[in-house]
Amino acid sequence: MQVALKIWRYDSSTGQRALKDYEFQAPDEATLLDCLDIVKDKHDGSLSYRKSCRMMICGSCGMRMDGGAVLACKTRMYDIAQAGQIPVISAMGNLPIVKDLVVDMAAFWEKMRSVEPWLQPGYDAATEQENIVSVARMAVIHKESLCINCGCCTSECNSLEADPDFTGPAALAKAMRFVGDPRDGNTVERLEGLSGEHGIWDCTRCYFCSERCPKGVDPRDAIAKLGAEAMKHGIDRDMGAKHAKWFVTSARTTGWLRETELVPKTQGIVMAIKETKFALSLAKHGKVPPPFPPHVAKNQKEARQLYKLVKEQGVSGAAGIVQGEKALGRIEFVKETEHAAKHEGAAK
Amino acid sequence: MKKVAYYKGCLASLSAKELDTATQALAPKVGLELIELESVTCCGAGDIHEAEPDYYLHINARILAYAAAEGVDTLMTVCNVCTLNLRQANWQLQIDAELRARVNENLVAVGVPPYERNVEVRHFLWEIAEGEGYELLQKAAHKGLKGLKVAPFYGCQILRPSKILGFEDPDRPWSLERIITACGGEPVDYPAKIKCCGFPIIQAREDVALAELIQPIEQAYEAGADCMVTPCPLCHLSLDAWQSKLKKQTGRDFKMPILHLAQLVGVAAGLADSELKFKRHVVSVKPVIEKLSV
Ligand code: SF4
Ligand code: SF4
Ligand code: SF4
Ligand code: SF4
Ligand code: FES
Repeated sequence: MQVALKIWRYDSSTGQRALKDYEFQAPDEATLLDCLDIVKDKHDGSLSYRKSCRMMICGSCGMRMDGGAVLACKTRMYDIAQAGQIPVISAMGNLPIVKDLVVDMAAFWEKMRSVEPWLQPGYDAATEQENIVSVARMAVIHKESLCINCGCCTSECNSLEADPDFTGPAALAKAMRFVGDPRDGNTVERLEGLSGEHGIWDCTRCYFCSERCPKGVDPRDAIAKLGAEAMKHGIDRDMGAKHAKWFVTSARTTGWLRETELVPKTQGIVMAIKETKFALSLAKHGKVPPPFPPHVAKNQKEARQLYKLVKEQGVSGAAGIVQGEKALGRIEFVKETEHAAKHEGAAK
Repeated sequence: MKKVAYYKGCLASLSAKELDTATQALAPKVGLELIELESVTCCGAGDIHEAEPDYYLHINARILAYAAAEGVDTLMTVCNVCTLNLRQANWQLQIDAELRARVNENLVAVGVPPYERNVEVRHFLWEIAEGEGYELLQKAAHKGLKGLKVAPFYGCQILRPSKILGFEDPDRPWSLERIITACGGEPVDYPAKIKCCGFPIIQAREDVALAELIQPIEQAYEAGADCMVTPCPLCHLSLDAWQSKLKKQTGRDFKMPILHLAQLVGVAAGLADSELKFKRHVVSVKPVIEKLSV
């Protein structure tokens, strides 16, 4: 097949940047990584990118294709080439570029290290017997264990872009891999640490991480699991945690969330008073509904009883998310083509 | 008329009532008969999912069950976040029979009908972006937007995770642009239209959230947009109400009017002021109205 690519070339030592065109023949089954190999072998030996395994295992070949992070060795080019598209290839986002498609992963690894990604069983000496862990208990972190440290999830993370100190999706998913490990003895300390300033509650739920992850780790889901575990252990000092808790109270009591109460419940009374001017400006436009009389949804008793029942059954913390993972693991995005066909049909 | 169960969510019920009135007024013009659900709670946004995930699943199952009990095939939402939460719960229940059995048992125990017949959760945006809804929209939007430059803002949770939402390519969405064009407006393109507005952390991490919020507004402003339109009342709240905070923090006053999707189409379809309720916006929509009245 005939393949055309545009590649953003960059050299950090000179600061030079250029978008270069490449066109060449490649076998039909070629991946983006195979295509880059052809470019490097036959057209331009100075092109830099990382690779090793070529089979989605080592996590070296993360890069952007048309602005979205992909693993080059996982991305087949046939459909793209057949459609006559000329994708733009560039380095991953949210990390400094060293050269062409190679980024400096130092910050990524530093955050990984910060979550202490190793087992801390809480004892030093070997035990007499093996400690056997059931498959069911390990299933809690099955997804998180699939991470290959490629960094694709961090490339478009919106919180990371706004706060470079945010721990980020990869390290948080890794943290869940240890928080959820039944053999780890450090769960509470870990959760305490992750509930700080640049941790769990920094995530803005943009879902770019889950969209991009080539291994199905679904970091946003892992972060929700960390949040749920923190709450289960009563670690809820953070404003993000308080905010989340108030939703539960609202759903249980009146059914609908009352924004009026959200600010003091999240930020505390003192902050809320500082915010009065802002709140009044919203109230003027009816954005802040008065708390009295509270608007209570019909048959609200059911929601209250449901809460009690669910609490009694004790599917608490991350288990409430894990129970749905099997189903979510089975669904896939239905390709655009169907809609595109409809779209064109309707346009005519 | 296509009968759909209509789930308003908290925002359209309380602080964004203008979204509800505009949607209700527009619905018959685009072939939708709305059956409003009453015995329902908040979907919990991502918050109950994170705080009490098992309860999240149950209250969403309850919403789905009441929609199914109306005998309709579609549960229509007007909020990105409701759409994701309900669709996510729906997938879990539809694929995992064991899970559904347990949840249904609990629903029945508290007097809720079990969720048996499946419904599909669809956002109002999807109803009017293709098929019959789109055909009718073209006719209904006869008053037109007269070349108004509109910046579409999708936000996150109508696009990602795409496997749960699955309507359009999350990196190259087209639905809002198509609707803007059908209404006689001119869609303005800008990169941050698929990014986050920062709403989920606007109270807990204001600085981070504002650094996110400024991107779409600034880019739309620089691309010459007369206004922005969004399918999500939470995006609307942060884009509209928090603009004053951006001004305070950065000194830049964008004065960018933010319209709900139903309002934008509503203007083109000639809805009354009492249905559009622009007075409820913090940033004045007047410049848009004036531009359209010349
Ligand atoms: S969902 Fe959270 S962690 Fe994932 S990319 Fe968005 S902000 Fe980052
Ligand atoms: S979570 Fe996924 S995208 Fe992120 S580093 Fe691990 S494998 Fe890569
Ligand atoms: S997403 Fe929000 S507005 Fe929509 S129902 Fe859920 S909490 Fe309420
Ligand atoms: S853009 Fe903002 S409010 Fe809208 S879906 Fe994303 S986080 Fe939500
Ligand atoms: S080369 Fe190893 S993951 Fe792509």
